[in-house]
Amino acid sequence: MSRQAESSALAAAPPGAAPARWTWSVLAAALAAGALLPQVVTSTLAITLLTQAVIGGILATAVGLLIRQAGLVSFGHAAFFGLAGYFIALPARHGLWPAEVSIVLAVAAPTLLAFLLGLVIVRIPGVAFSMLTLAIGQAFHEFALRAREITGGEDGFAISLPRALYGVPTEIFQRPQSMFVIAWVALVVILFGLHLLTRTRFGRVTAAIRENEERARFLGYQTVVPRALVFALSALIGAVAGTLFALYNAFVSPEMLHWSLSGSALIMAIVGGTKLLWGPALGGVVFFFFKDLAGDLTEHWPAMIGLTLIVVTVALPLGIGGALVRLLQRLRPAGGRTHG
Amino acid sequence: MAETFAIEGGGLTRRYGGFTALDAVDLAVPDGEIRGLIGPNGAGKSTLIDVLSGRADDWQGSVRLRGADISRLSAQQRRRSGLARSFQRTNVFPELAVREQLEVASWRAETPNVDEVLHEMGLAAIAHMRAADVSYGDRRRLDLALALIGRPTVLLLDEPAAGLSMKESMALAELLRDLASRWKVTVLLVEHDMDVVFSICHRITVLHLGRVLAEGTPAEIRSIPEVVTAYLGSAVE
Repeated sequence: MSRQAESSALAAAPPGAAPARWTWSVLAAALAAGALLPQVVTSTLAITLLTQAVIGGILATAVGLLIRQAGLVSFGHAAFFGLAGYFIALPARHGLWPAEVSIVLAVAAPTLLAFLLGLVIVRIPGVAFSMLTLAIGQAFHEFALRAREITGGEDGFAISLPRALYGVPTEIFQRPQSMFVIAWVALVVILFGLHLLTRTRFGRVTAAIRENEERARFLGYQTVVPRALVFALSALIGAVAGTLFALYNAFVSPEMLHWSLSGSALIMAIVGGTKLLWGPALGGVVFFFFKDLAGDLTEHWPAMIGLTLIVVTVALPLGIGGALVRLLQRLRPAGGRTHG
Repeated sequence: MAETFAIEGGGLTRRYGGFTALDAVDLAVPDGEIRGLIGPNGAGKSTLIDVLSGRADDWQGSVRLRGADISRLSAQQRRRSGLARSFQRTNVFPELAVREQLEVASWRAETPNVDEVLHEMGLAAIAHMRAADVSYGDRRRLDLALALIGRPTVLLLDEPAAGLSMKESMALAELLRDLASRWKVTVLLVEHDMDVVFSICHRITVLHLGRVLAEGTPAEIRSIPEVVTAYLGSAVE
């Protein structure tokens, strides 16, 4: 199969089409699998790793969405992830308002910030956009690092959460078995929501703008706001990941804002495949397990991840997800199309 | 009472540093006319299209669409006012299916006519294919089809026949003439293929070094020695 044909096979469904019946089946099966997995996987270590992987997968989905829907590569998504954490941690530390309000703000504030930033930075193409996101992310990191009296500096600090959040015992968010289910449900809902979004006019128009911004303008489209909205949506997903991370660990530190986390999310997205909505999430799971495995073998595990990235980029340009789709198509040549 | 033109440019000037690409060009194209815009490379043809369509920055003069001043309107606003354009280089959405991109275009149009355009442009058979997977000739027709969505009032075409075979070029010329007549679209056509220009244009404007060198019917243009010497040569003899 040619690369073009592969790309076609990975394209989304026709515009405006109602979700196929299989979509609902996959949604139900995915939710059920997530609920059952902690019953099957009894190892606390494994379920802890899975929980981290799913949260990482959500962050990777955010980065992947920006690439897939806007053609923009962010090196600074840790900013939205980390800001969400601090939006929960700081009000709790200073007793400003209830934690439930903080959780809403933790998702809403980075989203709004991203939209406002997006109105300016999405106009800047290519590498310059990536560098701007890196600079913005590092600015927040530096602030968290230096404003010790506010943020606790490099050491970070533990988040004092109430006993219950929205009537749910807080320990539910901190036990790996239950947090895995929460994170998994969040991931599945996000992917399903994005799947539906790609079928809307907004999804189609943003795809067109990604493909050819100038032509979209000459068809009468305003192109900055839609791209800023995609950037904000991507930040929202990153903030959801950061919120889950902060609730799970009850701890924040500047590491949550560091560029290396943005880089890891980007690696996850590329390894999983950015042409598929679920590719980055798959990349997140693969990344965390590979990192754990490589960490057991050598302290130079980052080098192994780097090598893996090179191999995947060269050998599997559509990522592991794309390779899986290709394999399935070969096994079932007369089968239906595969959906993102 | 002064005549209202479909598209009208007055004193259009565009400079790139010390180079004047357009030098106080006046152009007025009446409703329903197919106007050819010819001239050697660097004459200012594409720059004129860019100024009229809202693609160019830092230009002087005025642009009117059916009498309304659109000089300050953005490219998007001009498109929504009924001024469409195609591009010198094929400018489509490579990863989107042919029908899909025409539908995206139609959502901004007051009169969505996707099926009509697919049929008229002979693209119906490849409507499901990605633009990246269709032939060059089909991509050129798709480029034109995108401009035709919504039945624009004025169509600015920048070398629509570039890269096409002689047969394809003449077929495109016939199609343009037919559509312009039936849909009552005013066309400003930049084209190096003189067979296309002289076969379908009602009038021709010749640009040279950013200025209007001559304007007239194809027969008149053929008879102007400076034009023949400077640009046409034996191309239309």
